[in-house]
Order: sequence, then structure tokens, then C-alpha cells
Amino acid sequence: MRLEKFIEEFEEAVEDIEPGLLTATTKYTELEAWDSLAVLTVIAMVDAEYDVRLKADALKSYETLEELFTHVSALS
Amino acid sequence: MSGYVKFKNQQILVVGATGGLGGAIARHLMREGASLIVSGRNEPKLDALSQELGAVALPVDLTDSAGRAQLADTIGTVDGVVYAAGVAPVAPVRYLKEADAEACLNVNTTVPLLLIRDLLKTKKLKAGASIVWLSSVASSRGTAGYAAYAASKAGLEASARCLALELAPKGMRVNCIAPGMIETNMAEIAAERISSEALAAHLTAYPLGAGQPEDVAAATSFLLSAASRWVTGVTLPVDGGFSI
Repeated sequence: MRLEKFIEEFEEAVEDIEPGLLTATTKYTELEAWDSLAVLTVIAMVDAEYDVRLKADALKSYETLEELFTHVSALS
Repeated sequence: MSGYVKFKNQQILVVGATGGLGGAIARHLMREGASLIVSGRNEPKLDALSQELGAVALPVDLTDSAGRAQLADTIGTVDGVVYAAGVAPVAPVRYLKEADAEACLNVNTTVPLLLIRDLLKTKKLKAGASIVWLSSVASSRGTAGYAAYAASKAGLEASARCLALELAPKGMRVNCIAPGMIETNMAEIAAERISSEALAAHLTAYPLGAGQPEDVAAATSFLLSAASRWVTGVTLPVDGGFSI
């Protein structure tokens, strides 16, 4: 698993984000596009791409994309 | 009304009895005097339920034709069938897994239809039998992430209307119940994919608040009973006013 690829997939999942805009230190829950549909979509993306079942409330436990990536990596 | 037993000498098959709604329905029907046959895939839970209710347990996989044949061969004739099994994949279509979509349509739509087919072929449904399938408010409302589930339940309701016409000459009835958000394991699983804030916001759309499994059980009992003898081919919303 690569962090860069994960960030690209995150950008693709959460629509209305310009490709290349996000970095490892982006605080994803503070994004303007971060709403209930984004939560549902990121969970489904992680399930489809990494076969990891995230819980919606677990997404609140992390701040940055790197932290989320580390969590997903540990579970995959 | 001492001595009144609603389902006296009646055999009712409850499929999906190990789920939150199926279990509540089975317990409710048992209290109303029904003799139960309970089916489910979680064998330990099914064993515990059958011992609790004094019901006959059939731990068969009804997605498999051999499992349905086994069930149809094993049971005697029944007065009612409740289909409460179901799966609910939650994912935007972009990330919907093919296997999840197929399983959803199979378990929620195809299997209940094939089960009734097999029970009809083996003459296990008594004249006047009542069939109740559990649908969902999702069948008639668009909800992001629920495309496969909504399709499966809309298909189930459409099948019920057709089957109701086919079985009416035998005095048999077919109806659906469309529950809204009920506090069951399935709702908890949905909450895992929908943030607790989003779920709380969704619940504000229920004028009477969230439902309990017992609410669905009571409606199921009505549709199984003679009290609804002139009701067939309908979907009864049990949703606390959500669909008003």
C-alpha cells in the first residue's frame, strides 16, 4: 500500500476535490466537501479497494490522511 | 377475552428468525399461540431461539435450492410464512461490489419468491394461508448508498402484488411490511457506515421517533391473522409517519 495512491483514491472518492490538492497532512474532516455522503463514500472506497471495513465513527478518530492511511494499512 | 388464542392450531414458518426483526416476530407469534418453525443461518442463535420458543428449528441455507428443498420436505403444511431474512449493502454505486449487489437481490428478492414456489409445488401452504414479506421504506424513497437494497425491496413488493393475484383463487394472501428505521442489529450495522450524526439527523424524519422490533411484529401478526382476511397485495408502512 502506498500513501500517495491512497490520497489519490481519497480525492477521487470525495468528489469536488481538485486532483493533487490533498497531502498527507491534510485534515480531511475539515474539508468543505466532508459531509455524510463523503463519509459513506470513503468507507465504501476503502472496502472496495482495500477490503477493510471502516466504521463511520472511526473516521472521526483521525485527523490527517496519513493517520487514516496508517489505520487502513494496519487492517488490510 | 380469557381463553382467546389468536393463532390456535396454526403453524407459521418464520424465515430469518435469528435476525432482530425475525426474532421479535417469532416471539410475538409464539405469545399469540402459533406453533412455529424457525429458519436461519446462524445455527447457535437458531438453537437458542427454538429452545426458548419451543419451536422447530431448520438451520438451512435458503439461497441454495437444496436448502429450500430440505425445508419444504421437512415441514408439514403451514398457515403462514414470514420472510424476514435480508442483507443491506451500503455503498454508493461507484463502489458497489458486484458480489454484494447480487447477494442483496438474491436474498431479498429472488429467494422469498423461490421459497414460496417450492412450498406451493410441495403443497405445504394451506388454503387461506397468509404470506408476509418484510420490505423497507427504502423501496419507495431514494437514499444515497442504498441503490441495491432499494431495488431489491421494490422488486419484492412488485412480486408480492403478482403473487397475490395468482394465489387469491386459493384464498391465500400475500402482503409486505415496509418498516422504517428500527432499532435492530441491521440498524446498528448501517450506523457503522453512516455517522452517528447522520443517523440522528435521519431519525428526525420520523414523527413518532425510531421504531422497535415489536412494532413490526404486531403488524406482521395482523397481516397473518384472519383480521386482515380481505387485505392482499399491499405494502403496509410501519414507519412512525416517515412516509407521510
